[in-house]
Amino acid sequence: MRSFYIGDNFEEDDSSDGDLAVLMMGGELDYEVSPQIRARLVGAIKDGRRRLVLDLSDVTFIDSTAIGVLAGTVVKLDEAGGGSLAVVCAHEKVVQIFEITGLDSVIAVHSTREEAVSALSFVR
Amino acid sequence: MATSEQHDAAGRAESELHLPARRSELSVARKYAGDVGAEFGLDPDGCYDFVLAVNEAVTNAIRHGASDERGLIHLSIVADEDRVTFSVRDFGSFVMPVMDGPVNSDHGRGLAMMASLVDEVQLEIEPGGTTVRLSKVRP
Repeated sequence: MRSFYIGDNFEEDDSSDGDLAVLMMGGELDYEVSPQIRARLVGAIKDGRRRLVLDLSDVTFIDSTAIGVLAGTVVKLDEAGGGSLAVVCAHEKVVQIFEITGLDSVIAVHSTREEAVSALSFVR
Repeated sequence: MATSEQHDAAGRAESELHLPARRSELSVARKYAGDVGAEFGLDPDGCYDFVLAVNEAVTNAIRHGASDERGLIHLSIVADEDRVTFSVRDFGSFVMPVMDGPVNSDHGRGLAMMASLVDEVQLEIEPGGTTVRLSKVRP
């Protein structure tokens, strides 16, 4: 099982005006690494990102603290004047956790990055 | 990390693991739970759910509980013919989570997740600590 990693930078989407960005993560997202995830997402919002795609295709495990970080990011986007967060999930059990926690009702879960970027491209 | 294994009078396998109450020990607890679940005979899906539930209980113990005088939390396993039970004991005061908070709350999901992932969750709340017992029935 691959250990946790998080992309160095947000990958900007050239088709947008710069506030849509994609961040890749992989491995196991738990209480140990949640502070790193929170810091990166808070930093992105401070940098003016308002439409965020988290590509979790390589994530094999997500716990309630990491889920809490994503939920908190939605709140922070609202507090920053509004925005959207979408995730890309390939692992069936990870998708199941979004469903169990009900977070799929506030964060759109997509099966491909293209689908997520396309969905947020129409959100203003 | 200290482990021990024995069988009780009823022939149930029991083992114990004492872990430092640190975030970095979570992966150790998951590996332990995964090995136990597989050895018991849980299928990969059931084993995954068992590991995630254990992860939640150990996270709670590290996050909200307190360790013993040696800085440890206590994990134990009992397996018999029908079920495997994983217990997590800490020495802090239990704080009941807000179960009906907003869906975008950044906390309070651990207990509900445990309940949805295993067949039975038992909470034993005492003045000196809290024990969470997570049971999976043999498929």
